[in-house]
Amino acid sequence: MAKTFMDPHDVPKIPGTEGWEKLYPYQYIFSKEDPERAKFESSQIWFYDGLHYPEPHYPFDLIWDEAWSLALSQYNTRHYIIPPALGIDHRIVNGYVYISPVGVPDPEEVKRRVPLFMERAGYYFQNWDRLYENWKKKMTATIDKLEAMTFTDLPEIEDISVIKDGIGKGSGYELLRKYDELIDLGLLCWQYHFEFLNLCYAAQVTFFGTANQIFPDVPISTLVKMSAGFDPILFKPDSELIRLAKLAIEVGVEDIVLKPLKADELMKELEKHPVGKEWLKELEKARYPWFHISTGTGWYHTHISWNDNLNVPFDNIRTNIKVLKAGKELGRPTAKLLKERDRIADEYRKLIKTDADREAFDQGLAVARLVLPHAEDHNFYVEHWFHSLFWGKVRQVGQILQNAGFIENADEDIWFLKRDEIKQALWDHVTAWATGVRARGPSYWPKEIAWRKGVYEKFKQWTPPPALGVPPDVVTEPFTIVLWGVTSESLQKWLAGPAEGEVQNEIKGSAGSSGIVEGRARVLKTVDQLADLQEGEILVATTTSPSWAPAFVKIAGAVTDVGGPMCHAAIVCREYGLPTVVGTGKGTQLIKTGDLLRIDGDTGLVKILERAK
Amino acid sequence: MTEKEKRFTLWYDEMDGGDFPFVGKKNANLGEMIKAGIPVSPGYAITIYANDKFLVDTGIKAELEKQLTELGQVTYESAKEASELAIRLIENAKVPADIEADILANYRKLCERTKTGVCPVAVRSSGAVSMPGQMETYLNIRGEKDLIDYVKKCWASAYNVEAIMYRMNKGMPFLFNIGVGIPKMVNSRVSGIIFTINPVNGDLSKISIDASCGLGEAVVSGMVTPDTYLVDKVTFDTIKTTIGSKETQCVYRENGSDIIQTEVPDEMRCVSCLTPQELKELARVGKLIENYYGKPYDIEFGIDADFHFPENIIILQVRPESVWSKKEAAPKTEQKKDAMDRMVSQLLCGVRIK
Repeated sequence: MAKTFMDPHDVPKIPGTEGWEKLYPYQYIFSKEDPERAKFESSQIWFYDGLHYPEPHYPFDLIWDEAWSLALSQYNTRHYIIPPALGIDHRIVNGYVYISPVGVPDPEEVKRRVPLFMERAGYYFQNWDRLYENWKKKMTATIDKLEAMTFTDLPEIEDISVIKDGIGKGSGYELLRKYDELIDLGLLCWQYHFEFLNLCYAAQVTFFGTANQIFPDVPISTLVKMSAGFDPILFKPDSELIRLAKLAIEVGVEDIVLKPLKADELMKELEKHPVGKEWLKELEKARYPWFHISTGTGWYHTHISWNDNLNVPFDNIRTNIKVLKAGKELGRPTAKLLKERDRIADEYRKLIKTDADREAFDQGLAVARLVLPHAEDHNFYVEHWFHSLFWGKVRQVGQILQNAGFIENADEDIWFLKRDEIKQALWDHVTAWATGVRARGPSYWPKEIAWRKGVYEKFKQWTPPPALGVPPDVVTEPFTIVLWGVTSESLQKWLAGPAEGEVQNEIKGSAGSSGIVEGRARVLKTVDQLADLQEGEILVATTTSPSWAPAFVKIAGAVTDVGGPMCHAAIVCREYGLPTVVGTGKGTQLIKTGDLLRIDGDTGLVKILERAK
Repeated sequence: MTEKEKRFTLWYDEMDGGDFPFVGKKNANLGEMIKAGIPVSPGYAITIYANDKFLVDTGIKAELEKQLTELGQVTYESAKEASELAIRLIENAKVPADIEADILANYRKLCERTKTGVCPVAVRSSGAVSMPGQMETYLNIRGEKDLIDYVKKCWASAYNVEAIMYRMNKGMPFLFNIGVGIPKMVNSRVSGIIFTINPVNGDLSKISIDASCGLGEAVVSGMVTPDTYLVDKVTFDTIKTTIGSKETQCVYRENGSDIIQTEVPDEMRCVSCLTPQELKELARVGKLIENYYGKPYDIEFGIDADFHFPENIIILQVRPESVWSKKEAAPKTEQKKDAMDRMVSQLLCGVRIK
């Protein structure tokens, strides 16, 4: 490929954001100080991770990017020794994360890595079920620890028990220690996140690659259909809401639940009603853990969970009750989906002409099916359950800093501090408390945060180029292939890009669910806007999660900023037969409600046919 | 004789492959295709018995037999003489009332069923023995009078010099009764070709469809760049759609049977000529045909503007795919000792950036 992208060191700065680099870790910045590193940076392909990050990063929220940068890379490079691939390097430009797969350049080194990979990855594949059971235990233990944590203001004086029990340590120290523990748990959870995932993607590369040799035109969405489990726990929250809706009708409290009240008022009413009280008990059972599901992807602190806002699940329960009372079926036809999965795989298998190819196909399919439950389910444990709880704990820390006058708004401001800066602020607060003096924080942070918010707003207005640097000859990193779908075609599309100042009427994403449909767009940034959605519209959202379930019975198709062929929107739309384009990066920014769209779920292309008046 | 054998006409959907001795092979094949669920243009067959009865009742049979004994040694000249006589006798004879009434009753029913007023039909010869290209087929025949005239022409075409010579050389009798097929002419809004394989790379899991506006000639002869579609044979998802330029189309001249070229209107060139529904249905029918015959097929189709979906999908011709199907099936994957070994080799391949 002759053409290259802009050199990463040459990306223009946004006026008024000078000094933005301090919002992020220093190693995330492209720099020419070290000629050797600068040369490496210029020679690599860096692509904008729009798949996970449709919006610029808040300094605190970058914790997950750092966490996965470490974990994914270490498992490739130091644990399983993926023969041709090292880790994925990270940078940040004007608030947007760029990533770059790093290969093993020396073919001899690749060869030396093969037996190590065979031994190590082989061990995990051979002991998959046992190790995966153990993983679930480790993961839930980590979540339990997180859940048990609480952050409260420092006392005026220590409790007498500290004296009488001879505790010998103070609340200030405890606050610092607990904050460290909170961060540690977050990083640990992400270590577990990748314990199996690299192998999952390696298995998928194997199946996809093998199937592609036999059937050169087979689309990834079909391969996913053959290997998917179809009962991922990501759908459990939604099925709980269906259960609760059915139960409400069965025990006769549906008229109370249907009242258009806020969740807290509704719960008070139900509490007064003897049967309602019983129903609430069932609701409580469902809440832990299923209501820890995020209303977004869980990657940003702004993605709150059902437990954070019970109006979301209550709205969905109400919709479910109405649908059920209209005599319609609800719920995923899991058995039918599994049957269809097996039919597709069997028919494909029957089309194979030689025994050798059949054996290769079977091997590929077997590993892909082995790993699928984890590939589908890890998300709920980490990005939903753990993250939702984690954001809540950080908000508690924010409340302490707000009470201490360091920040003005616990919900909004703390995210503009890096996690190490929060530790520093807590030190400032704790030592001032211990000493009995004024801390510097209240005169330092509000001003700084106001400036950072201004920078962040400017980042939001900027459009990150899809890629920087030089495309390689070959990509071998499994995540880059399967998750981000980097191919010759995608690189060509990025290189072509719209010219400066050109109005963009075509948006490229990934094929999520087959079919072509035209319709008016409804851009919804958050799930609480769901009531605006009209029958037959095309839903345009950052991402969807089970919170969005009521949308899918109404829409004609969907477009998301974030996600691949295995994301929630793609799975659900395939089940409903709705054309869907996922992972467009900027769909919600470029498309306006009322625009006439044509979406092609086969090619992943969204066309704006006519702008809304 | 069974009831079926004594009938003058049979609808396509009343026959099957085993009926070829009564209706001829082409007709029987159509019946067989309908039985298999393959949609063909609606129509009926005039039986071989009708042909025989026509020759007997008009006295032509006796006349020909008498003349034949005088023919002596078969030479090209004597065959030509016999041919001219037979054709003249047949074309000038009056079709017996009972046969004509039956043919026309069916024609009227066809006009009614297809809601086309005076339905244009083809009149196709259909022998019980294959005599490729020896007999005639007439296109775009309209109205009762023409229909009867062309049926006679079709019967007469069994006495073309070539047909007579062919039969003499094979030791077959001079007298030869044939079936005649009367299908509705397909009023193709769109036509094209289905391959139940990707002809580009031999991928057996795909169905490839080329389609363009008007009659099939434009696509078959490569006169236009058609729209091309690639559909998954197992899921029926559309994998790829490429809109072709399709500048011209072939259509029948108004009230005539010859084909002329016209321009395709601009607004139709830049959009898919098939609807998503039609595309899926064509793929489904393609797969049905492949399953029926047990191998990849090459299929011509038309989308009949006179019918609504899905009745508008009409299969015109089917033949086995001839390029990939002849190749020896060679493994496309490398032999690996186990799944881990395969994983390593796939990881090492990666994705090549061209």
